[in-house]
Amino acid sequence: MIDERHEELAALHALDLLEGEERTAFEAALTRDPELRRLVDALRATAAELAHAAPAVPPPSADLRARILNTAVPVVPTPGDVIPLALPAWLGWAAAACFFFAAVFFAGKSFNVRGDLQSALEAERVARLEAGTLKNLLEAERILSRAQLDHLAKADRLIADLRSQADVARLKITSLASLAGNSPQARAIAVWNPDRQEGVLVVSKLPALQADKDYQLWVIDPQYPIPVDGGVFTVDPATGDARVNFKPGKNVAVAQTFAVSLERKGGVPKAEGPMMLIGN
Amino acid sequence: MPTLQLTAFDRFEPAAPQRRSEVYFRLRMSDPAPIDTPLSADAERHGRDAQLLRRAGQGDQSALGELYDRWVRPLHALACNILHDPAESEDVLHDVFMTLWQKAADFDTSRGHAFAWAATLVRNRAIDRLRSRTRRAELLDQSVPADLGYDEINTPAHGGDTASLKENAAAVRRALASLPAEQRDALHLAYFGGLTQQEIAEKLAHPLGTVKARIRRGLLKLRDTLAPQL
Repeated sequence: MIDERHEELAALHALDLLEGEERTAFEAALTRDPELRRLVDALRATAAELAHAAPAVPPPSADLRARILNTAVPVVPTPGDVIPLALPAWLGWAAAACFFFAAVFFAGKSFNVRGDLQSALEAERVARLEAGTLKNLLEAERILSRAQLDHLAKADRLIADLRSQADVARLKITSLASLAGNSPQARAIAVWNPDRQEGVLVVSKLPALQADKDYQLWVIDPQYPIPVDGGVFTVDPATGDARVNFKPGKNVAVAQTFAVSLERKGGVPKAEGPMMLIGN
Repeated sequence: MPTLQLTAFDRFEPAAPQRRSEVYFRLRMSDPAPIDTPLSADAERHGRDAQLLRRAGQGDQSALGELYDRWVRPLHALACNILHDPAESEDVLHDVFMTLWQKAADFDTSRGHAFAWAATLVRNRAIDRLRSRTRRAELLDQSVPADLGYDEINTPAHGGDTASLKENAAAVRRALASLPAEQRDALHLAYFGGLTQQEIAEKLAHPLGTVKARIRRGLLKLRDTLAPQL
């Protein structure tokens, strides 16, 4: 049973009055409903009958019929149109020739396309190289800039070295060893900078210290009646090595020599313990 | 000397409004006389059309010529009433008969009669041309719910089934005349006007829903009335 709504849509569709989504939806409904399809067909046929009711007009021109029939060329071969037997023979060769030329044509096309592709790849490679070159140039500039900075830094260091060389000429370097025989393997070197009133002591193979003991450095300056205290230090228990920066508590005019004694923990103002090392 | 008469439709709508009178009064040579179309004649006509179309589909030019003779009058009248241009109407006919010639073999007789197919082709092509050449405003102005009446004194130019066509045309006119005027107006603008639903409603100055309902009722009644000859 078709409802009024679908009857209306069918009538409008039969007169081609449905548009857009309404038409799409109705045509979809037609595919699902044979009864609705039959109604549309009947209404289309009915609408076509309205052509008979068109108001009269003068007849068309007399030559219209001839023009139509002259244009209507038969599209189906009549029984008299027999295809010659020779046709397939040359038709095959013609087809082969067509195939050959088509193959040559497409091969040429393919070659051209490949050439174009190769050119494109080549251009891309050149572009990449140019980009690489520019990158390298940029890196070179950066390196040069860095080199210039390094050069300036080196120049600064050179100036500092030259200045330090002037200091080194005034440094006092003293080798220390055991004279008492209590640490025959021990050695030390003391470097003293009189301008800065500071020095460095490097010792090796001194005996390991007891917990309540320290080694103490002494600077021998003739202007003082007793050695000047250079500070206490400990050594690596395993190796007996140490590196000590020292700055005496008094001004040292002439660092005649250096000595290391074994003292109680924390050091003493005047040497009391055994002398372990002394400069020669 | 032509005489001013009401068409068959107007005789059923004596109280039609003034606007309709301006449209429906036409100079007519005569009123159609009621003719009862025999069922066998319609069946024979449709059968002959289908047979000729089938032969045309097989490349028979003479069959196409005979179809031309049978259909050219109503099809040409249909095109002219849509386009109002005889030369362009002939172009449409030429196109349509070429289409029939090329596509005849594809025609599905189970979906309708051959003439209905040809008329649909003519109407669609004519409306396409009308819409392509005319601005919508002009189209609305040109479209009027005109008199639907096929002049039965016209005779086919090349002979053919004259009596059957005349009987068929008379039956269609009678069926149309039996419709209320508002349904007939809506059907006319829908079939010949090339207008959209909304434009028809505007033209008739009625709500869209009302116009749709009139088209539905009018076409269904026509179908019932013309059923014997469809």
